[in-house]
Amino acid sequence: MKWKQSSVLPGFNLALGYSVLYLSLIVLLPLAALISKSMGLDWASFWAIVTEPRVVASYKVTFGASLIAALINLFVGLLIAWVLVRYSFPGKRFIDALVDLPFALPTAVAGIALATLYAPNGLLGAPLDRLGIKIAFTPAGIVLALTFITLPFVVRTVQPVLEDMEKELEEAASSLGATRWQIFYRVILPTIFPALLTGFTLAFARAIGEFGSVIFIAGNMPFKSEITPLMIISKLEQYDYLGASAIAVVMLVVSFALLLMINGLQWWMTRHRR
Amino acid sequence: MSIEIRNIVKTFGDFKALNDLSLNVESGELIALLGPSGCGKTSLLRVIAGLETPDSGQILFHGEDTTDRHVRERQVGFVFQHYALFRHMTVFENVAFGLRVRPKSTRPSDAEIKRKVHELLNLVQLDWLADRYPAQLSGGQRQRIALARALAVEPKVLLLDEPFGALDTKVRKELRRWLRRLHDEINVTSVFVTHDQEEALEVADRVVVMNQGKIEQIGTPSQVYDTPASPFVYQFLGDVNLFHSRVHEGWAKVGSGQFAAEPGEHATVYVRPHEIDLSRVASLHAIEGTITHIRLLGATVRLEVEVADKEVVEVELTRERQLEGAWQVAETVYLVPRESKIITAA
Repeated sequence: MKWKQSSVLPGFNLALGYSVLYLSLIVLLPLAALISKSMGLDWASFWAIVTEPRVVASYKVTFGASLIAALINLFVGLLIAWVLVRYSFPGKRFIDALVDLPFALPTAVAGIALATLYAPNGLLGAPLDRLGIKIAFTPAGIVLALTFITLPFVVRTVQPVLEDMEKELEEAASSLGATRWQIFYRVILPTIFPALLTGFTLAFARAIGEFGSVIFIAGNMPFKSEITPLMIISKLEQYDYLGASAIAVVMLVVSFALLLMINGLQWWMTRHRR
Repeated sequence: MSIEIRNIVKTFGDFKALNDLSLNVESGELIALLGPSGCGKTSLLRVIAGLETPDSGQILFHGEDTTDRHVRERQVGFVFQHYALFRHMTVFENVAFGLRVRPKSTRPSDAEIKRKVHELLNLVQLDWLADRYPAQLSGGQRQRIALARALAVEPKVLLLDEPFGALDTKVRKELRRWLRRLHDEINVTSVFVTHDQEEALEVADRVVVMNQGKIEQIGTPSQVYDTPASPFVYQFLGDVNLFHSRVHEGWAKVGSGQFAAEPGEHATVYVRPHEIDLSRVASLHAIEGTITHIRLLGATVRLEVEVADKEVVEVELTRERQLEGAWQVAETVYLVPRESKIITAA
């Protein structure tokens, strides 16, 4: 197998070497340190820490809330991307810029703002409370915070693909007798699906790791609204470095497996387009 | 099915793409819309298809007004310049698309769809590609698949927008002959858009020459080529030498030669390069000049002759005539047009 491909631009060795070095220093090294740290535990105590009921409950909250948030953004993000690409209206550029705001805002600020807004005495929380709906300090609050934080991912991955989509594909489908709905799910959706999946994956991964915004609105009740990153922090605060690294390794492995799965699915779906 | 186009106007902003245009297409005819880019030919095709709505005017299919009918219900097959195949579907599924999206009540059974799709793939001679994806096909193959897809819905009218525009010359020539044969076989009323005059003349039953949103001339290929109705058609169809001259006592003078002209002030004389004879003897209608270049173009020879006022005239001779005449560079010759068209203006 030939590795090096001839190209007009030189520097394959340097570019590849630097990429590998960079990834090693920034990504691989800390992860390796984490895993080696957790090696300080024997298997039995490792298993005891990571299967402790309170920790297991936190996995469910974290992965469950992240999945729901990513799914919500899958639909809402597609809708926003669609509106931004297909229609022109006053204030469009402003809304376009607004989409990136969750990226720019410190997550703690977002968390505090959401908590204030949705607290039982907050601007939106009070009327909702009267209807018997509690958002802040429940798992619903976690989903809300994660939805806010991960909003830009799907929008920003789908938007360029929608923009590049030839109008002729829709016209061809239309001339062949397809209805609007058929055009959407038989032509448009398969075309943007890989991008949708990428956006979903990014949102999901980001949500799993989110800490700052969640802790302010979650209420952090054991077994109910504690997220796994919080478990890690609380172990660290008790100087239980080994325990913290053990939970971190579990998160790492699960996240990696999920990402690998989604990437595999995406590769399989786009295998014919190369 | 016949198509009747009545007084269509279509504007994009300030730009008049179609300016009060009317045209009749007979049932089973293959018509070419020919013109330079921006002449409105694609807009006209899209209006017929229902992909654009005209500002005013009517489109009638077989005498029935379809102006306000959605493209979905017009039963037209549309073939795009860049194929517009569905990349995520196999060739088979692309062709089957129009059958699969039918409402349940009229949708054929899977076996029927399969039979139909293979029949169409055989018609375009690409049945062996049924399981491939569009990305794995060549441009010519893609366009044939696009055509099969359009034919699957049994369209009453087939519309092709520069169908061979994105292909290289050799494939283009093959495909247009193939299209002509296919049309003779299936006989569906077809309109195709092209800017390539050779393509239009070779393939179409009738050619519609368009310019600036209007029709310049409609006729069979030989009619539009041999008797162009306007200076535009003369220039657009084939090479032409063009002389500006003044009319004096019924004669338009070009260099040393003169041509009978209608009364008027200015005259423009059009002469095609292959309709000029060379002579070594001066005569009343001959234009004196000097040969500056001789170039061999396969079966023909192109000579450039400089006449009065440094104007250059192109002359095309067959190989034999060039050998017979043994014309040399720098030689003085007399150009005798066999055919010419003179248009006078006040």
